[in-house]
Formats: sequence, structure tokens, C-alpha cells
Amino acid sequence: MTIDNLENDQIIFATGGYDHTIKLWQTHTGICNRTMQHAESQVNALEITPDKQLLAAASYQHIYMYDLASNNPNAIVNYEGTSKNVTSVGFQEDGKWMYSGGEDNRARIWDLRSKNNQCPKIFEVQAAINCVCLHPNQTELFVGDQNGIIYRWDLRTDNNEQLIPENDAMILDISISPDGYLMASVNNKGRCYIWSLISGTLDIPTKLIPKHKFEAHKRHALKFPHLHFRSLPLASVVECFHNLYPDNDHKSISHKTKKYCYHFFLYETTSSLLVTTSADQTAKIWNTADFSLLQELKQENQRWVWDAAFSADGQYVFTASSDGYAKLWNVKTGAMEREYAGHQKAVTALAFRDVS
Amino acid sequence: MALYDNKYWLLSHIRNSFISTDDTGMCELVMVGESKEVKRHLGNMESYPEPDESDDDEDDFESYDLQMDMDFGIRERSNTAAQLEKLDQARKKASKMRHIKWETSKQVEDLDDLFVKKDVSQIVKKPKQKSMLSVLIENFSNLPKNPYIEYSKFDGSGQVNIPTRKYKIFLTMLPPQQRNYPIHICCVATAKVQDLIGLILLKFSANQGECNLNLKPVTNYGLYICEEDGEVDRDFPCLDPRECVAKFGFTCLGLVEHKDNFKSVTFPDESQNVTNIKEEINRTRTTSEKSKADENRQKNDMLAMDEHNKRMEAPLYQSFRVFMINKVRPKVEVHIGISGERIEIDPVQQKNSKLLPFKQKAVSHHMDTIASCEITDTKSSRSTFKLVYNSNFGGNYGNQGDVEFSGSSSSFPPSLQSSTSFKNYDFECDHATAQDIVQKIKLILELRSSASRKQYIATKEKKHYKRKNFNIVK
Repeated sequence: MTIDNLENDQIIFATGGYDHTIKLWQTHTGICNRTMQHAESQVNALEITPDKQLLAAASYQHIYMYDLASNNPNAIVNYEGTSKNVTSVGFQEDGKWMYSGGEDNRARIWDLRSKNNQCPKIFEVQAAINCVCLHPNQTELFVGDQNGIIYRWDLRTDNNEQLIPENDAMILDISISPDGYLMASVNNKGRCYIWSLISGTLDIPTKLIPKHKFEAHKRHALKFPHLHFRSLPLASVVECFHNLYPDNDHKSISHKTKKYCYHFFLYETTSSLLVTTSADQTAKIWNTADFSLLQELKQENQRWVWDAAFSADGQYVFTASSDGYAKLWNVKTGAMEREYAGHQKAVTALAFRDVS
Repeated sequence: MALYDNKYWLLSHIRNSFISTDDTGMCELVMVGESKEVKRHLGNMESYPEPDESDDDEDDFESYDLQMDMDFGIRERSNTAAQLEKLDQARKKASKMRHIKWETSKQVEDLDDLFVKKDVSQIVKKPKQKSMLSVLIENFSNLPKNPYIEYSKFDGSGQVNIPTRKYKIFLTMLPPQQRNYPIHICCVATAKVQDLIGLILLKFSANQGECNLNLKPVTNYGLYICEEDGEVDRDFPCLDPRECVAKFGFTCLGLVEHKDNFKSVTFPDESQNVTNIKEEINRTRTTSEKSKADENRQKNDMLAMDEHNKRMEAPLYQSFRVFMINKVRPKVEVHIGISGERIEIDPVQQKNSKLLPFKQKAVSHHMDTIASCEITDTKSSRSTFKLVYNSNFGGNYGNQGDVEFSGSSSSFPPSLQSSTSFKNYDFECDHATAQDIVQKIKLILELRSSASRKQYIATKEKKHYKRKNFNIVK
């Protein structure tokens, strides 16, 4: 094994999609290192555990965990008990617990410590949950649902607070900057809302102060760096949504169809950037100082862009799109640097762990 | 015919056909269950049951022309069986997985331990530094793109819901010590052989460390059928690169680099053609190298056989159509019939033969009278050959001139006669025919070694000798 490989082992880049596989990539060569099977459904979201040992895949009724250290193509842990699609998944920074949100209207806390003292927590809302985001203080979850409500769920007190940025718009994704000062959210109208967050000590809740609002995409979209968020554009998702369920019956959405995936990814950099992804076939990078458009990442026929993630220094951004490719873009130039080919169908989720 | 009037038989036959042709097994499931019922129902309606029906209760679905036992053997597995196996596999897979069920009842005790609030104001902003990814990407910014990267989409490993094919591939271009172990490749079943080659090269180039083999374009390689131990079977051509991999059932293949490389890769269209042609050539070449010796031997054998056959066949009757040439008469088309015993010359009937001032008569010479036959002249389109015969010999039939001649010459002693007793015919025909005729006659003469021939040869030598002597005298 060469030094390159060792170095590369610390960088983890995983993609998953509709072809029922999860692939791990060598980032600088574009070679697929490993393919894991995700037989039962599409991949809704991917997340890597803080210790980089496991990869969590949110899917229909399950969250599967894959071992990143071995070559086992099958999942080694299966978290079950949710009745519908799990749309988002994430971890407490020490890996003590995992949070998830799904179309069964529930956000959950899964205790990852030893079996004996399991301490599950559940938070139920009125509509299917599209996104769950953990505040860097590790005790507050922000949950966005299809009714357009953002809930601040305090894990210590179980209190919650509601926020409706806009009527008749679904919350597609929420992202909070790693320093905990900014929160962004996008809705299905492609509109992006920004809040300043004021942290309280101990059990004093974080205050949200509306800061900015702008049209991110014509349809749906979003994602941030330093705050990194992402979202999907409204029009096309809604379009697709109506096509699949003409009666707009939310209950019927519980099938193995993934309508949309909008998750915000937060990530840390000294310059504040936000990336939003959209069904308008672009990913956009915004400067959070003035919310001006920095780059539009666009490629012919790349179709919907589902997910995005920044490198640790904010110089590069990965995107996943319906054309079956994951791509690496240079933030400064807006040029595509690498293409990761291998998926047979749309790539809908990615997880990236950089080393800085 | 009675069978065809029998309801039971017809019913049985129809059911049997359904059951035996339905691969899903559904017909069987449905029909076996209701067989007795149907039978009873039919039986009630049948007012005049035929006597032979009473005893075929057991073989309800036995048809008279279908052997069920045979059929079961080759029948494809039903969907049910496949489904069951799938479930079984899923169960096995699940047993290796840890399952964690959502439990709601537990009381939260250690809140403070689990949910510790982190002071975000304490999060220190790290000094700006390059991430590992940025470093990697920058370091490898000039990394040549793997030329086979486009084939990655044919990778079938890990694919679950699409058909795939697994292969053991031996790379024959590796150094001997590394060659013995195959690499395992799984590709989607819809890939072409060419795509499979690309995928192999991609996997190989991605995995190989120091071994810097110079890999060439996909078209420079061929996949050959190969033994489990990696020995490539070169008796077969390589798999057609344009065919779908699913078409071939071999799981053990050898990747062989075609030796002769071509230079023009600049024009895609053209090179494509060139490649194909080259491939064809290479393919034939690789096979020919080994079998060249075989071929040569075979060729020699064939020649020997040919020779043998000619010798054996020489005495057999064969007729040729040629022109007889005479210095004073016009050319006459004749048939020469040659057998081990005699040579017959028959004029071909010509339309205006009556107008000709004379007629070539049919002659026959016993083979013993024939002294020699050889090609005398070879022109651009025709050859002439000379047939020499001993007119003095007893076996002249039908040719008046000859008879006369022989008559007049009979008074001379043989030695004197010898110079005059040999007469000849001149014929003209195409080269091949001339060759055939001359060879055939020569072979017959060799076999017979007649007196006429010996005499002719002796005379010839004598003449030659005399001429020499004259020359010396002069």
C-alpha cells in the first residue's frame, strides 16, 4: 500500500442512489474503491460517523450501517422500527447518539452506546419530516417538515418552539454554520431564509433572529459551506410530487419513492459559503456575507442536483446528480475537477469527510 | 382415433400442456389442486363413461406423448423456488446483521450524560489551512485521467437488482510469477466484451502498484477462453469484442495483448476500422503461429495424397477435348480418351464438317504402342504437346495411313524401321489440360514400361550419339 492510499483512507467520500448501491471513492483519481449493496431501497441520505468507522444510510423503514474499515459489502447494523422513509440522519459529535427524521412525522434519537442503557427519544410533528439539523451545541435539533414549520427541539428539556418562515411552503432543508451563528433554510419555492443564532448558556434556548431572505433557485434548492446548506428547487420537486401523487395525499408518500431529498450540510470554513442544490440542474454557491452568488455549478444534462458537500477548507465542493455522476468542483473557478462514474442510476446522496 | 373422442384424455392433454409449458409453476399449483374435482364434475356429466377410464385415476395428467419425468428434469425453476431462495438468502444475510429495534418505553435517566450542551462560543476558528482533499487534488492536478475510467459504469460488483456476470481473468501480459492468479471481475450482463476488457484494464490499472505495465487501448486486447489454471486456449479465436458478454458462458478468460500494434489512432473512425481489421489479422495470426507446423505437415500430407491419387487414378479412363494440329490440314477438334489400356482419338462432330475437304478418322492406339508424350511448346494461352507412338507395333487399328505405313515398313528389319516407325500427333489445348494429359500418360507409361517406350528412348539416345559423332567428324 502506498502513502497515497493511506492518506486517502482518511478522506471518505461515499455516494448512494437509486441503483441500490453505495460507492466509496478515491477522491483524486475518481476510481471507485468499494461498492456496497443497499438492496431494499434507494438511499435517502448518507452520513459518516465521527470516528469514521461506520457509514449510515437512511432508507425506507431502516437506517443501515456499513463498516468502512472492512470490505463487507453488506450492512452490519440495521436500525428498524420506523414505518416510512427515513429522510435524514446525523450524529452527535462524539458518536454517542444518532438522530433521524422521516416521513412518519417523527424525529428520533438513537442511543449508540452499549445496549444496556438505551435511551431513545422521539419527537412527533404534524407532517412528514424533510430534514433534521443538529445545532453545534449538540443539544438542539432543528426539524423541518412538509407543512413548512421549523421546530427547535431542545433535547435536554424536550421543549420545542415553532417557526413558520413562509406559508404554504415545505421546508426542504436546514443547515447551521459550524460556529453556530447562522442558520439557513430553503423551501420548495426555492427561497432561502437566513437567521442569526444567539446561543444561550445551559438550558436557555438559542434565539433565532431573521436576517435575510433571497431567491436561491427558480425551483428548489440549497446547501451551505461554513454554513453549508443545500436544498432543492421548488418547482420541479413539486411537479414531480404531483405527478406521483396527484391527490397530494401525504400519507401515500410513504412508499419507497423518494420525492426529494434536501438536506443541508454544514461545514466549517473561515469564509462563509452556502451551497444550494436544485432541480433546476445547478448547484449554487453563495457568499454569506452579502448573499451574493459566487458560482453557479452547471453542466449540460446533469439533471437534478441532489446533494452537495464542501471540502474542509471550502475550496472544493462535491455534488451528486441524477445523471449518475458525482462531481467535484473548484469553488474559485467554478470548473469541474473530477467526475465519479459508476452508478447506474441517479445519485441522490453523498457523504464526505475531509481532513484538515 | 378413439382417444380423441375421449373427454378425459383431451382434458388431461390440455392440462398437461399447460403445466409442462408454464415455467412459473403457477398452472401446476392451480391445476393439481382442482384435478379431482374437475374429474368428478366431468364424470357426473358423462352418461356413458368409457370402460378404459375407470383405471386411469392415478395418472390424471399423464399425456400420451409427453414424458412428464423427462420434462421435469429440464424444466426451469419456478419463480416460487427462486423467490424462496431469495428469501432464504435475505434471511442468511440478515443473520449476519445486528438488528436494533426502536423501543419507546425506556425511561431517560442520564440526560446530562447524553445531552451535554456545548458552548459554541468556545468553538475556535481554526486558522485557514488547506484540507487534505485540496492538497490531494492539487498534487494530482496533472494526474492523467485513467483512460479506462469510462468503463467503470460496467462494474457489476455490488449491483443487486441487475443481472451481472462474474469472471476470473488471467492477465497474460504480466510477468510469469504474477500471472498465475486471476483477478475477479464482475460486470453487468449487458456489457459488451470490449467493455469487459476496459473494465478489466481499469481494475488492473487502479490496483497495480509498482508494476508499471504499459497498458494500451482496449482494442489491443482480446479475451480468450482459458483453463482454470490460466492456460489460454488459443485454438479458439478471442471473443468477439462487439458481442454482449452474456452471450458467452465461459467464466475463466485470459486477457491477451495482441502483438502487432498499429500506429494510427488519430482518426477515431478510421482507427476503429483499422482496429477491427487488425484484430482479425491478429486473431488469425495468433492461431496460425502455433498451427503453422501442423499446417505444413498437413500440406505435405495433402500433396502426397494428391500424388498418390493421381498415380492410382492415372489408368482410369478420362477424356479431354483438344485440338489436333497438322501441318497441312486445319485444326480439328478431337476427344482424347485415355485409359490404362489405350488412347482413343475421336473427332468431334462439327456442323460444317461435310464442307471440310477431309475428315479426321477415329483412331485407337494400344497403350503399349505409345512411346512418349511431352509438352513441346507453351504459348501465352495454349500449350501444344506431342504424342509419339510406334506405328510399327501390332496394335494399330482403324487408321489407314498407319496401317499402310506399317505394311510398307514391315519388310525392313526392326533396327532400320526404328527411326521411321515412330510417328506422332500434335495437339493443342490450354495449359492445365495439357499438363494433366501429359502427366497422366507419363504415369501410365511409367507403370507399363512398354517395349515401344524403351525402343523410343534407345533410339533417341542413339540419334543423339550419332549427331555427336557427326559433329566430331566434321
